[in-house]
Amino acid sequence: MRRFILNRILLSILTLVILSILIFLTAQVLPGNVGRAILGPLADQASVDAKNAELGYDRGLFTQYWDWISGVFTGDLGDSAVRSRSVGDILAGAIGNSAKLALLAFIIVVPLAVLGGVYAALKEGTLRDRLISLGGLSATAIPDFVWAVVLITILPLGIGIFKPTATAPPGSNVFEQVYYLILPAICLVFVLFGYIARMARAGTLEALDADYTRTAVIKGLPQRSVIRGHVLRNSLLPTIAVVATQLGYLIGGLVVIEVIFNYNGLGRELLIAAQRNDLPLLQSGVLIVGVVYLVATLVADIMYSVLNPRVRLGAEA
Amino acid sequence: MKSPKERLAGIRTQRSEIENHLIDELRAQRLDRRGFITHAARLGMGIPLAGFIATACAERDSLEDADEPNTDAPQQGGTLRVGGQTPSGALNPLLVGDQGGLTVLGQTGEYLTWSDGELALQPRLAEKWTPNEDGSVWTFNIRQGVTFHDGRPLTARDVTAAFDRMANPETGGNALSALTGVISPGSAVATDDYTVEFNLEAPNGNFPYLTSSDNYNAIIIPADDDPAEWPSTFIGTGPWKLDQSRPDEGFTLVRNPDYWGKQPVAEKIDYTFYGSEQAQILALQGNEVDVLVQFSVSGGKALLTNPDVVTTELRSSAHRQVHMRTDTDQFADKRVRRAMALLLNRSAIVDGLLDTKCELGNDSPFAPVFPSTAEGVAQREQNIDEAKKLLDAAGMADGFSVTLETWTNFEMPDYAQLIQDNARAAGIRVNLSITDAGTYYGDAVYGNSRWLDSTMGITEYGHRGVPNVFLGAPLTTEGTWNGAHFRSEEYDGLVRDYVAALEPEAQTTNAKKIQELLLDESPILFSYFYFFLSGAGSYVSGVETTAMGHADVSHAGII
Repeated sequence: MRRFILNRILLSILTLVILSILIFLTAQVLPGNVGRAILGPLADQASVDAKNAELGYDRGLFTQYWDWISGVFTGDLGDSAVRSRSVGDILAGAIGNSAKLALLAFIIVVPLAVLGGVYAALKEGTLRDRLISLGGLSATAIPDFVWAVVLITILPLGIGIFKPTATAPPGSNVFEQVYYLILPAICLVFVLFGYIARMARAGTLEALDADYTRTAVIKGLPQRSVIRGHVLRNSLLPTIAVVATQLGYLIGGLVVIEVIFNYNGLGRELLIAAQRNDLPLLQSGVLIVGVVYLVATLVADIMYSVLNPRVRLGAEA
Repeated sequence: MKSPKERLAGIRTQRSEIENHLIDELRAQRLDRRGFITHAARLGMGIPLAGFIATACAERDSLEDADEPNTDAPQQGGTLRVGGQTPSGALNPLLVGDQGGLTVLGQTGEYLTWSDGELALQPRLAEKWTPNEDGSVWTFNIRQGVTFHDGRPLTARDVTAAFDRMANPETGGNALSALTGVISPGSAVATDDYTVEFNLEAPNGNFPYLTSSDNYNAIIIPADDDPAEWPSTFIGTGPWKLDQSRPDEGFTLVRNPDYWGKQPVAEKIDYTFYGSEQAQILALQGNEVDVLVQFSVSGGKALLTNPDVVTTELRSSAHRQVHMRTDTDQFADKRVRRAMALLLNRSAIVDGLLDTKCELGNDSPFAPVFPSTAEGVAQREQNIDEAKKLLDAAGMADGFSVTLETWTNFEMPDYAQLIQDNARAAGIRVNLSITDAGTYYGDAVYGNSRWLDSTMGITEYGHRGVPNVFLGAPLTTEGTWNGAHFRSEEYDGLVRDYVAALEPEAQTTNAKKIQELLLDESPILFSYFYFFLSGAGSYVSGVETTAMGHADVSHAGII
């Protein structure tokens, strides 16, 4: 088990190094330059060059990369190129906001989708199964921004409940913050429900069809015990993997939702950084999204192995 | 009691030769009331006085038709919630270059003068301003007894420091677009604690506008303060002062108890930044904000028909320039440029693209809103036959292909498509290249910018109270934004004359020559000048916006 985890961590670190190089090189090909982004289009070229030199952007690529990546390890992500704030401050606020939204969406969607998927599997072939499966799939097929616009039009603008923006006023308590976040969270529930429920359904069907379930039934165990003790434990394996990979999307990929609901999450910050050529913010932000993906995948792998010893034994063999 | 006529006679004995000349122009009806007040304010005459003279002189012209704003008196106190665009960069007064940022500057900061919704100048930190005989030296009397939010007194030194910073090419300040060639560091001299003398590089009849809210970087901050630190203090002399800043989300302002002028109506302002226009509009519709600083026709149609929202529209000089490279390729021949101009169906553009919330352009920067714009210059209209003849004469009867570059900004991509459709009538195949702002502007220097290097491109220009910037940077030989690469000694000379002119009729005479020259040369297409639209809940009154994008909410509140 320990060896399995160590292997996974080493692989994650290697992936992270490759990812950081890719991010750094990709950021270099964006049009414009940092000095120009700071001083604006009217600054003379000499001032722009001087600013680039002051910030170290006239040095070799390797030196720049090394400075950046060593700064990441010491917690010094530098300053934003176009905003008079440190990258660390900006990203900390944005990640906190994204995490709040992701958490709320997860709290709603994971139990709902897992229950829905398991229930659909148990009622396989019935109208209820079709309703859950097709309904979930249809909801997932509709893009998140469409849900956002429809929900805003019907709820805050039509009926007058919930808020069209997700940022609560300063000094709001937890309940007020949740009230502001509920609408974007519902959009995410619609988008994620079908996918997670489908996985839970497929896993449950597979588990229901497995020999160990048949044996448990033949042994005469009550149906509730069979489902709780044999089916659910195994059926949730693929669902865990799906949920984990969605975490990265929820933390850094909700660009459109965050823009529509005027929410300062990580996705919106990354979009703004890319548009304004704010390389220090963009590089570190993308790296953090990568870290979230890797950590989520790592946690999923570990949980998977805990629940299913065949996985770790296969990896250790 | 003296009659208005008798009082006018008395006033005239105390006014300068130039001011009396202006009054003569008004009496001869060569200037309308609005034009008179604008010019009078530019020359340093107070608005109330100018208004009295205009009333006394002539049958008054009716002022601009506009939707009546809410005139019910607002209640004292309370919190007003304002929504505005997220600033695109740091809130450094020297570098701010976008509407989101300039609206913030104008909340706590103040200018020497204020360019109001009618483009007339009103005194703010300057009580009075006067030119010398040729307009090469302007003297500003600074208001006494004004203090910054931290208690330091405002003096002439703060004013000279602000203009020295803005005019210094090394700082790369945004105001260089307006001040280059007008003043340089050291041009502003404090002759005593409350008098500043601006020694201009050349006579300039419109100089006071460069000290106004039109030159939005020109808020006055303490001379010794670093503008880069401004986002943490919002220091200024205005009616509001910073209570709490929430970076990237907004800020809260409270009344400045030491303000030199009238105290604000509301107790507090909660200002929220919005990253997209759609979010701003939803916020107003969803009662999340009381005032929305600006919205566009393309994004905000729902507000225009919403009975719970009062929208305000201001005529402006904001526009889109379609430049055509005059030094290379097909557009080097001015007949081809004229043909392109004649292919545009401007009425369809005005109706379809902007829902009539704009005024027609006539291929020069002289917007109808400018008092100096000459009348009697024929409006260019679509004439496909004439366009074909011009192309034939230029040896391009079969048309040609050209790439039109622009970026995804409000209605600009739709405008590009309309140009593409219109051009097809004469066989011109316009290929569209629509990118993001970063790609389009590039480094914003010749040789490394699609904006400045492309054969044809669409670029957005914000409102200005006078056309000086539009006439200079994009069109003069030395212009730094000359995407058309237009070079004409005659034009450069006319612009110099226009800029130097103090008298309104001299400005209009020069304007007419420039308008006619640009119609003939057509280096840039100016199809429309769009209105500045803002909105507020129907329960709000007293909001004053300017076409530049300022929102003065100090007299606003809930009814």
